[in-house]
Amino acid sequence: MSQLDILDVPAKVISVDRREGDAFRAILYAPEIASRAKPMQFINVRVQESLDPLLRRPFSLSDVNPHVGTIEITWMVVGRGTKMMTQWKPNQTVHVLGPLGNGVGPDFLENKRKLILLAGGTGFAPIQLLGVRAREKGVDTILIYGAKSRHLLMNTDRLKEVGCKICTCTEDGSYGSKGLVTDMAELQLELIAEEKIDPENLVALGCGPTPMLAAIENLFADTNIPLYISLESKMACGYGLCQGCAVRAVDPQRGYYRVCTDGPVFLAKDVELESE
Amino acid sequence: MDLSVDVGGFVVKNPVIAASGVLGYGEEYARVGNIDWFGAVTVKGTTLRPRHGNCPPRIWETPSGLLNSIGLQNPGVDEVITHYLPQLAQFDVPIIVNISGETYEEFQEIAKKLADCPHVTALEVNVSCPNVESGGMAFGTDPGSCYRATKAVRRSWPGPLIVKLTPNVTNISEMAKAAVDAGATCVSLINTLLGMAIDIQNKRPALGNIKGGLSGPAVKPVAVRCVWEVFQSVSVPVIGMGGVFSWEDALEFIMAGASAVALGTAVLVDPYAPKKIVDGIQSYCESNGIDSMSSIVGIAQV
Ligand SMILES: Cc1cc2nc3c(=O)[nH]c(=O)nc-3n(C[C@H](O)[C@H](O)[C@H](O)COP(=O)(O)OP(=O)(O)OC[C@H]3O[C@@H](n4cnc5c(N)ncnc54)[C@H](O)[C@@H]3O)c2cc1C
Ligand SMILES: Cc1cc2nc3c(=O)[nH]c(=O)nc-3n(C[C@H](O)[C@H](O)[C@H](O)COP(=O)(O)O)c2cc1C
Ligand code: FES
Repeated sequence: MSQLDILDVPAKVISVDRREGDAFRAILYAPEIASRAKPMQFINVRVQESLDPLLRRPFSLSDVNPHVGTIEITWMVVGRGTKMMTQWKPNQTVHVLGPLGNGVGPDFLENKRKLILLAGGTGFAPIQLLGVRAREKGVDTILIYGAKSRHLLMNTDRLKEVGCKICTCTEDGSYGSKGLVTDMAELQLELIAEEKIDPENLVALGCGPTPMLAAIENLFADTNIPLYISLESKMACGYGLCQGCAVRAVDPQRGYYRVCTDGPVFLAKDVELESE
Repeated sequence: MDLSVDVGGFVVKNPVIAASGVLGYGEEYARVGNIDWFGAVTVKGTTLRPRHGNCPPRIWETPSGLLNSIGLQNPGVDEVITHYLPQLAQFDVPIIVNISGETYEEFQEIAKKLADCPHVTALEVNVSCPNVESGGMAFGTDPGSCYRATKAVRRSWPGPLIVKLTPNVTNISEMAKAAVDAGATCVSLINTLLGMAIDIQNKRPALGNIKGGLSGPAVKPVAVRCVWEVFQSVSVPVIGMGGVFSWEDALEFIMAGASAVALGTAVLVDPYAPKKIVDGIQSYCESNGIDSMSSIVGIAQV
């Protein structure tokens, strides 16, 4: 029963920088986590050593470098914790618990010829690492990425560098095409259909706001392409103790899943997306 | 130094216990920490039948506090006995099973099933859960009901019996006395304080279940006061909890009258908290010439 595969480590801050628009990125030295992490996993971070804010904050691993022992998180400021994180200084240590969540293992891309990634806003963060890993395996990868406006988009250069096809859109048209991720996904699905790839050799994964996930779930319902979604929910522990992060299961027998341990990645058809 | 202490019919090797609801059944915690760090572990509130728990969101952070409305999500007592307790019993730590019933008969029935399970050291009767509609806290807010619920368990459970009290009452000592009169060998306190918050972005209550239970450092002064009062009114040991995050907090409870403390929210924030707190108590005692835990229990009482 005792596996000790999750660690709480004092991680040294290597750098914190402001990226394009509203995004920030921190690189942390945490070799124990870097060597264990899978794409789509996350960490639970103690923003500062005080009783307020009390809870840790969950962030996806947007990149990991096991060779040098670093992990990367990318975020936008939405409240107190994310604001405090912008004040982190190089060489200070922050407590990082991880790697957490199911993530996706090597079998996720088994027999796959094409990976379709769909991201909204900060949902791009974990998608980046998955895209990089997919390209390393030689899987054809397309990213469909959108946000309300340009400043809410994260930098996609890392995926461009590894040869991922990128389609960007904003609702206000301030960058890329004007429209929603689903509009663009619909278009891309038509193009993919022309390639006549067996749906079994395709796989899609979405991460972003709940309404976006619900919309892409509808869109994919008409295809045979397996669709996975990565969810967020309010968390306390981040590793299965408190049952705080519940999301309703489609199967009434199952009741609820825990986003932190049963997820964050789920088959879209297994979970009930309730918009708050 | 020997940190062991008697908590009413059983001895714990150190006075730091895992509170109910924050360790599940130990499975997940064992991936990060060492269950042996605790003097005893209390498992999640267990009911006669499985419960899926409340509608999300179930968690909301407040200044130095945590509001939760989990709603006693658990697989039911039979599954706990066949599947979860044998796993947890691998560790050399006494197991306390926290139980919750909707009726007196249910309390008695759950206790009966657990009496036949070799892995259980003590029962903790939850008459204080603010997150369920029927039963729950209602049993712990009236001395007569508290007495009857305790008595129902006592009829089928011969071993150490802890009654967990709610702070959501005017006079907590009365509840403690009722529990002891009905056969409790220990009382634990406090369960969470009933609270709520509004999410002003959504213009809705922050929790799916509207109200929830407040825990963490924000409730500590209330908890210390409750321990102080209960220590004066009953002669059985008291397990104190509510916002214990450091060894200093733990000693505060002990000096107010707790024989041991339990950690809830602290474990969620820092999985290594039990180890740090046990080590801290140890060094404090050593450098202050204290040679037994019992010598400082309630030492601050005037
Ligand atoms: C598995 C997972 C991965 C995530 N990855 C990223 C990421 O890579 N980049 C990024 O920018 N954001 C990510 N988030 C969201 C991020 O955790 C929140 O933005 C952050 O917790 C907000 O903290 P705050 O103190 O600034 O906000 P506040 O609103 O002050 O926080 C109050 C409480 O609500 C919680 N909370 C607020 N927003 C969210 C949210 N969207 N999801 C979960 N909890 C929330 C906080 O953790 C805290 O407990 C992720 C969330 C989860 C669950
Ligand atoms: C997420 C969570 C779940 C809880 N579940 C239970 C439970 O099932 N039964 C119970 O008696 N108390 C439960 N509690 C209450 C705790 O055991 C404890 O009494 C309370 O949280 C105060 O201690 P703390 O401030 O150290 O958390 C729960 C508390 C939390 C935070
Ligand atoms: S956050 Fe505690 S169980 Fe998921």
